[in-house]
Amino acid sequence: MQTRVDPFLAAVIHGALENIAIEMGHKLMRMSYSSIIRESEDFGAALTDAKGRQLCECTMSTPLQSGPIPGYIEGILRELESRGDTVQPGDVFMHNDSYAGASHGPDVGFAVPIFHQGELAGFSVTTAHHLDIGALTPGSCGIVDAVDAYAEGLQFKAVRVYDAGKKVEPVWQILRSNIRIADLVVGDMEAQVAAARIGADRYSALLDQYGLETVTGAYEDLLDYSEKLMRDAIAAIPDGSYNARTYIDGYLDSDDPALKELPIEVTLKIDGSDILVDLTGTAPQTPNKPINMPLVGTVDCAVWLTLRSILLDSDKYGAIPQNSGLTRPITIHAPEGCLANPIFPAPVIARFCPGNAVADTVMKAIAPAVPRQVSAGIGNLRVMAFSGATKAGPWVHMEIMEGAYGGRYGKDGMDAVDTLYANTRNNPVEDIESHLPLRVLNYELREDVAGAGQWRGGIGSIRSFELLEDGAVSVEGDGQRFRPWGFAGGSDGSPANVDLVRADGRTEALPSKIPYRPLGKGDRLVAYGPCGGGYGDPFARAPEDVLDDVLDGLLRIETAREAYGVAIAEDGRLDREATERLRAGR
Amino acid sequence: MIVLGVDVGGTFTDLILADLGKQQLTVHKTPSTPANPAIGVVTGLKAICDKAGVAVSEIDSLFHGTTVGTNAMLEHDGATTGMITNDGFRDVLHIGRHQRPQHYSIMQDLPWQARPLIRRRHRHTVAGRLDATGAELVALDEADVRAAAREMAGQGVESVLVGFLFSYVNPEHERRAAAIVQDEMPEAFVTTSSGVAPQFREFERFTTAAMSAFIGPKVRRYISDLQDELRGQGLKGELHVMTSSGGVATPEMIAEKPASTLLSGLVAGVRGGAWIGNHAGTDRLITLDIGGTSADIGIVVDGRLAEADTRSASIAGFPVMLPMIDIHTIGAGGGSIAYLDRGGAFRVGPESAGADPGPAAYGKGGKLPTVTDANLVLGRLAPQNFLGGDMTLDVEAARRVVGELAEKLGRSPEETAEGALTVLNSNMANAIRSRTVQKGIDPRDFTLSGFGGAGPLHAAEVARMLGVRRVLIPPHPGITSAMGLLTADLEYHALRTAFAVKGSLDHARLTALFDDMQAELSGIFDRDGVTVEKRKMLREGDLRYVGQGYELKIDIPDGPLDEAALEQVWQAFHDRHRAEYGHAFEAAPIEIVTVKLRGLGEVEKLGTPPEATGPDAASPVGQGQCVFRIEDALQSFETPYFDRSALPVGVAMQGPAILLQTDSTTVVPPDWHFEVDRFANVVMTRDGE
Repeated sequence: MQTRVDPFLAAVIHGALENIAIEMGHKLMRMSYSSIIRESEDFGAALTDAKGRQLCECTMSTPLQSGPIPGYIEGILRELESRGDTVQPGDVFMHNDSYAGASHGPDVGFAVPIFHQGELAGFSVTTAHHLDIGALTPGSCGIVDAVDAYAEGLQFKAVRVYDAGKKVEPVWQILRSNIRIADLVVGDMEAQVAAARIGADRYSALLDQYGLETVTGAYEDLLDYSEKLMRDAIAAIPDGSYNARTYIDGYLDSDDPALKELPIEVTLKIDGSDILVDLTGTAPQTPNKPINMPLVGTVDCAVWLTLRSILLDSDKYGAIPQNSGLTRPITIHAPEGCLANPIFPAPVIARFCPGNAVADTVMKAIAPAVPRQVSAGIGNLRVMAFSGATKAGPWVHMEIMEGAYGGRYGKDGMDAVDTLYANTRNNPVEDIESHLPLRVLNYELREDVAGAGQWRGGIGSIRSFELLEDGAVSVEGDGQRFRPWGFAGGSDGSPANVDLVRADGRTEALPSKIPYRPLGKGDRLVAYGPCGGGYGDPFARAPEDVLDDVLDGLLRIETAREAYGVAIAEDGRLDREATERLRAGR
Repeated sequence: MIVLGVDVGGTFTDLILADLGKQQLTVHKTPSTPANPAIGVVTGLKAICDKAGVAVSEIDSLFHGTTVGTNAMLEHDGATTGMITNDGFRDVLHIGRHQRPQHYSIMQDLPWQARPLIRRRHRHTVAGRLDATGAELVALDEADVRAAAREMAGQGVESVLVGFLFSYVNPEHERRAAAIVQDEMPEAFVTTSSGVAPQFREFERFTTAAMSAFIGPKVRRYISDLQDELRGQGLKGELHVMTSSGGVATPEMIAEKPASTLLSGLVAGVRGGAWIGNHAGTDRLITLDIGGTSADIGIVVDGRLAEADTRSASIAGFPVMLPMIDIHTIGAGGGSIAYLDRGGAFRVGPESAGADPGPAAYGKGGKLPTVTDANLVLGRLAPQNFLGGDMTLDVEAARRVVGELAEKLGRSPEETAEGALTVLNSNMANAIRSRTVQKGIDPRDFTLSGFGGAGPLHAAEVARMLGVRRVLIPPHPGITSAMGLLTADLEYHALRTAFAVKGSLDHARLTALFDDMQAELSGIFDRDGVTVEKRKMLREGDLRYVGQGYELKIDIPDGPLDEAALEQVWQAFHDRHRAEYGHAFEAAPIEIVTVKLRGLGEVEKLGTPPEATGPDAASPVGQGQCVFRIEDALQSFETPYFDRSALPVGVAMQGPAILLQTDSTTVVPPDWHFEVDRFANVVMTRDGE
């Protein structure tokens, strides 16, 4: 491969770039107040060049936050151009326009421009999910009934929060008076600016040390390098067209058929080292329900992440720098006006679950081509927002409920974990109960529900919350109507469900999307997580592995017999002869 | 007074014997015996006593660094462990923080699921629940506990963890359950999560305690067997074991807190580096310990070893919530392989040729170019005089493998070799920046100390990348860790969760927490026979702005904690926050999350290093052509080789030079000066720009 910079110097510069992004993320995470950033790690940090091409990202940040950063910068630059405005040293821009790069409104980006010898040389950017952004109801998740983009909260289109180094106070005043729990959210925004500025300083110093031409050459080489790895991996797949379709719940309790059981369709056309990802066949957009997905910022990230996780799996390939080179061989098409390419002002704030369903569908499409590199169908996630008001003031808490992976070639699926484009952390029970009027009643694996397979699907969790004072909840979930897909003879997994158990004992099964619903003291939400699909014929599963699940209390003896053809005696001993008979007699 | 340091590493057991009265040091190396490390220790003990002309019975104190606990974790080879926890929370250890270690991987394993410390069948739940203030919501069901213990006994469980929610506020349920388990299972190793790490965040606390339970029986057995062996050899002195926090502990203490040895083997190096730095007149030091496969980096600020914060430490992919020295390990060493990856990028390490086959230059069949080969191609190692002549290096083999890579790159072998070293050194410099620049510390004020077999080869170049102007190479770079063992005091830690917020803080309660910890540590020192005048108690706290999730460690003054004393603490926190993150929230309330007491008990140890002697002038033992990059171009220099032990003391000399000794080789680049100081360290300095 022809390179612009000598390979040794390039390696030195690549290491320095990565170091900068890590430092930005490290500082943001440690300074921030809200648990969604500091515990869940729902933030991004990256450097781009002057055009917005991503040079490096922080390894701690979540993919759905760093991935969109190039789009944020392109959106900011387009907006400035349309205003006849230009970037000045000392400016800091705030941006969350989901029709111009942002994944959705609560993910607010702060961009600090970097100048070298008087010229714009790049941007240092942090993004983070904020607890509240001034939408119709408290919180920034579970806003499942916003009717359009305006109902989703404040919209920022390349808004200067610092103008040539001077703080633009009116903007900060607007933030403080329009956001619930403003101390927390604005504190986190300040932390974002501080972390982005550190990145800008470090990148500036790097440019001073090596010069713009060398640094540019080194990252151009890095983009080429990432591109080559991706192209080599794509070229290894037989040319052809690979199609898959899955369904999302939508609004299961709605009377409108256009709002529920909606198809997501993906066709991958592989031609040499290029992939065209075509989402034709995906349901039309939902005009007044916010489960539409921005094509730039959500759909593209879902596609990129899934393809690289399968084709350039870091467990096998080692760490490959995430940058814009990786995405060059991938073209994405989604017809305008479909769920995956909505038209403004269609609302998008609840795009999280459908986006991960796109990721899952991409995996389902490519699975027959690379069967040893995929998992069977994943269990999607759900987000719950709890809120209320104590004597100390209003509170909001968001909890991301994990899914589970499907079985894999040679390995069971990962249990109770964030899947595909999400990779956040849960909040410790001891943290939640120390700070909020909530009690966590349990947090365990579900039993006897795993997707059967030679390698079984990952097992979902059960997790319950009780309100210790009057408050409210909203839920933004999916995956209650359809089971995660089994693969290569494996059984389908299990769907998720949520029960509301009232203080008086009445139980109500909830649909996957609940707009703001007041709850009383003592009311409980019991969330059952989904289980991933099984991989391969369950009757081919090693009997010892079936026995292990029985001994671990994850599988009943009867299920072992029925689903796996494995006979286990009441004393927990494997009956090999009976097993052989069962398996032969199928 | 005679003290012995024994550091058991993966390949060698290093020993150093010091006669403190006579100011005499004896050093010795013997192969390690991983199946039973005590065998190597005893072999080494006999050999070094012979060498020094000392009887085993004359040794007053033996200081030991061990990797038994670390290896049990790395190899996942510990006790069959069980757990008793709250109803509804059987799988805290399995679900963890529901996050994947790798963003972009389908085929990865989650360590806590693929290699569980406690299998689900051995995790039992019982009724009993506390709230966040420690108040009882549901009484502990003792019959449940007893039944679970009986079941575990039947399951062949050897070690039991009792871990309940909120035990860091109120340990009563854990203590009661542990007593019942011990009663039912008298042979078992029983531990509680509050006894190991009384801090909030249940997954991390339970995991740390599970680790302690998992490695506990093995560590305890090893220490007890070792004590017996040593007694059998006639040792009368005390055994002290290095802990992860850089102090030493008695065998009794290790038996109680086996997880405190997780970094035992690694910490001694930083400790040794710090001690040498201190005598060379610096208390701001970067230690760079480079071996065959990895480089361990430690930072000493104002004479104190930097500690890992509670949320950053991990072993084998599991979080560890214990006081630990912050040692940053990266895959960079003499055996690191230089190669072009599948995308055509030039990389060095982390893959290593190890000791077998090792670098091509070892002539044992190594076919891939390593860092050692690159050093040899550039003339920085003396082929006839490697490791004091114990091994001859094969220059042709090194040139051949480096040449093959050079051809692929279209570069000369020298450019390729120098490029490999630059990339390796830059990886190390980045690792050092992550522990200095990223924490608001300017490394340019620091001295860099290079040791381990390969540290002295790279120290000057790494220093140059960081803007560091002073480099220190200890007299015996290969046994700096063993030396470090002899410089530690007894060190114990106590810790309480405080959750005390500025403005609504109960001064009496805070003081009571410290008093309680003081009583706890005093009890241990009484047991160890450390007299009151040899004890030192240091107060610390983990602080954050209310609402944050990460804390910063701040010193807390002695004496009554009144408003004035606390004002100092608040100000120190703002300052530290600004230094570390570049920003402070001056108006925000501050919370003291945990309070800590660090107890030091002084023991007899190495005082001042022996004074160096040497000839009036240096005479080279040879010379060669060495290649260095100067002003961005490769240049070849006629370079003298010196026998390090025959250098004059206190005489400034000019690089380039190669200094040879039995356990390492020091490279002095052309634009560096060097001299031997009064304690036999080589000090390299570079002129200002």
